[in-house]
Amino acid sequence: MKNNTTLLTIIVYAVLLASFSTLINDIREFDLMQFKNFENWSKTAVKGKSWFTSENAILWSNYVITIGLFFWRGYLIYGFTHFISILREIEKKHYFSQKNINSFKKIGNVFITYTINVFILKVLLAFIEKSSFRFFNEFKNELTFLIPCGLAFYLLSEIFKRAKTIEEENELTV
Amino acid sequence: MPIIVHLDIMLAKQKMKSKDLAEKIGITTANLSILKSGKAKAIRFSTLEAICEALDCQPSDILEYVKE
Repeated sequence: MKNNTTLLTIIVYAVLLASFSTLINDIREFDLMQFKNFENWSKTAVKGKSWFTSENAILWSNYVITIGLFFWRGYLIYGFTHFISILREIEKKHYFSQKNINSFKKIGNVFITYTINVFILKVLLAFIEKSSFRFFNEFKNELTFLIPCGLAFYLLSEIFKRAKTIEEENELTV
Repeated sequence: MPIIVHLDIMLAKQKMKSKDLAEKIGITTANLSILKSGKAKAIRFSTLEAICEALDCQPSDILEYVKE
């Protein structure tokens, strides 16, 4: 059991490291310095044009949404860190601890929140870029994987809650 | 809990110490203390049988139901 937990901990750390480095690399490639271009926005903007249709506004929204996507990816990585706390509890043989129940619930929350928010941002991005948005394609990519996972973790937290009560009752059975 | 455990009374009647009873029935003193304090959620028939045998009494001498 201990060997399995150690192996799982190593895998989780590797996944975390890989996803974090990918995120950092994507942010670096995105080049945050391009925001400097917007410094003179107020000076260059055509006064008569409406704000929503101006090219700068569209670009600006595009960047904001992309940064939003980065933020949610970071949030997903934060969700993954809860696996470490679960594995630590299992190592201590505290299988049905309150910490594990909370971690499972948090992971479920992170997965569902991430999927919903990324989905919304992608819809907005498609709307701004006026590109064709294939709802079912996005639906397939985002929702078929993480939403069921999130729901499964919610269920696990409920099952663990019940298991904790039973364990306590068992300990108090003479 | 509406179930009251009268183990103290029975122990006093039999002039037996908790430690001796725990040893006799094969449970830890910590578990016996849980039973005596009324914190126990359940009692096994085997434990009840052992207690009755050790204290020479009936289950009704140890357990009492009081309406809340």
